[in-house]
Amino acid sequence: MSFREKCAWISFVLLLLLIVGFAAAGHVEGAGFHYFLTLLLAFALLQVLLRLIIRWQAPKDARTPKDEREQLIDLKAARIGFYSLVAGVLLAMLAVHVHGNPWSGLHTMMLAVLVAWAIKFASEIVYYRRGR
Amino acid sequence: MVPPQITITNTIRKLRFEHGEMTQQDLAERVGVTRQTINAIELGKYSPSLEVAFRIAAAFGVRLEEVFSHDSTQGAQQR
Repeated sequence: MSFREKCAWISFVLLLLLIVGFAAAGHVEGAGFHYFLTLLLAFALLQVLLRLIIRWQAPKDARTPKDEREQLIDLKAARIGFYSLVAGVLLAMLAVHVHGNPWSGLHTMMLAVLVAWAIKFASEIVYYRRGR
Repeated sequence: MVPPQITITNTIRKLRFEHGEMTQQDLAERVGVTRQTINAIELGKYSPSLEVAFRIAAAFGVRLEEVFSHDSTQGAQQR
């Protein structure tokens, strides 16, 4: 598995955890700004830590710039992520319209951003597995 | 009209063998791509750009058409 595929796996799994944590916020007592901040900090720290570990395992791979296939995979995955984000934002707007509560819309929009991001990394993994 | 798909094949594995069992990593370093990309090209999963194709041919010191070829029967159907 290439360095960049490992990075995509790390981001994908951590994003899934972040999404679960974010979605569960409604069930956690007193979950507010600090709860989200803690989640985001833990997410960022784990990303850095795990990426440093795999960089340490394969320093040569990590230094190599993205080649044309990896750039193409990145672009294709970003396109899928973009359409997922658009769909998510439209759903969030619908949620505001139905519930009449802008906070629920904001929550859905944040969730849409995270899910779109996860879909982007999932697509990258699929493309890396397929070879293109 | 949708153009017919062209199947591109290559002889990279054979050429690597003929060049002293050159590894995919060696070839990747010469061409300037990752080992995974060379593997994907070799297995026919990814068609490289002309630039990379020429660099692969140059790494073996052969002409491009000695590395890559396409299914001519489908090409004939197209005409």
